[in-house]
Amino acid sequence: MKFKFKDKAITGMMVVVPEQERLFVDDMKMFNAPENRSRKLAMVMGYNAHRVVEDGVCASDLAEYGFKNLFETGKIKPEEIDALVYVTLSPDHFMPPTSCILHGKLGLRRDCFCTDIAQGCCGFIVGLLQALQLLEQQGVNKVAVVNADVLSRKVSPKDRNSYPLIGDAATITIVENRPGAGDVVADVRFDGTRSMALKVPAGGFRQPSTPETAIMSADEEGNERAPDNLVMDGTAVFNFVMADVPPMLSDLVMDAGKDFAGIDKYYFHQPNRFMLQKLAEKLDVPYEKMPNNVVEHYGNSSGATIPSAMALNDFESLCRETKKVCFSGFGVGLTYGGIVMNCGNFDFCETINYPNKGE
Amino acid sequence: MDKNAFLDELANILDEANVEDAANLRDYPSWDSLAVLSIVALADSKFGFTLKFPDVKGLTTVADLWAFFEKNRTK
Repeated sequence: MKFKFKDKAITGMMVVVPEQERLFVDDMKMFNAPENRSRKLAMVMGYNAHRVVEDGVCASDLAEYGFKNLFETGKIKPEEIDALVYVTLSPDHFMPPTSCILHGKLGLRRDCFCTDIAQGCCGFIVGLLQALQLLEQQGVNKVAVVNADVLSRKVSPKDRNSYPLIGDAATITIVENRPGAGDVVADVRFDGTRSMALKVPAGGFRQPSTPETAIMSADEEGNERAPDNLVMDGTAVFNFVMADVPPMLSDLVMDAGKDFAGIDKYYFHQPNRFMLQKLAEKLDVPYEKMPNNVVEHYGNSSGATIPSAMALNDFESLCRETKKVCFSGFGVGLTYGGIVMNCGNFDFCETINYPNKGE
Repeated sequence: MDKNAFLDELANILDEANVEDAANLRDYPSWDSLAVLSIVALADSKFGFTLKFPDVKGLTTVADLWAFFEKNRTK
């Protein structure tokens, strides 16, 4: 579905990553694979360090920590928030919605609209679109979009396909009406026929978790995981991204009255360095216009990777100047989408650590 | 990309000095999911077709793989 908005802007961004860091050289010891192949994998994919929560930490704990920092430093006030859009695949509970839990903890107004959205890799795009639509309503001036996931808790440490890339994070993106900000053009597409390409098979109502669903078994390559764990069909996801994302983006950029060369910066979801480099080659976009280093610093934190890429690479310039940017997310759903808009002159753009509680 | 360039690329993917037509792909020690993904990416970028994992499963030798690339290439 295509969307068009006018005079709306991102005005601030906060990224919260867990202090706890895992290193690929340590992860490697858990895999049933020759060391030289693991090292090559790390080189190609850009695996190095990734941030994962300590036991028991929820995505909303990271988000709450970020909001409290913003309140304490006076960057935003709780009473200014007109809507809270909470995007996650790792909710605190099935009931209640996590946005309601945060609403209470943060002391938001009773007329602040709260909603949870279950989206992952494309969650920044879908969450931002929800915020832009809310801003069309009279009296809505400031929307907080949260992208938060702790999917490391669902990935088997013995799964070489997923564990070295997984990261946890929460990001807060403030979206506001800004006269003169210009056009926002967006497109989001879905292919539910391939919805099982990325999944956590057990733990929902279709297949509730039982002692049996926690039992690990090895795939043909020796990766061990249980039905309670996240599993992805890596080759199918790669082919999906290469085949379906470029034509969608080509349409989008044209709708925005631009060509690929006319975009200053491409902030894309960060699955791994390899896929982003291949995507840049396919779009004929230079690597330096499309950051690909979130996986090596923090890991792939699902919907939180786009703000992470922005705060990691361009926190200074995003507060100083405005650029024409193209966002894109693609993955679980399968969902893929993009947004072209003017972006910059943020009030804040920073990354903070969520401190370790354990010793 | 001609056959020789393809074989060089495949050897590189499999960490081998060279690869033989008659060799079974699965006999190379470096045949793993990373190798398969690299071959899938090669099909996409240099040969202009989508190579699916089930297709790869149906191929046995280096010659089979090249024949499949030749048959499906669009560039």
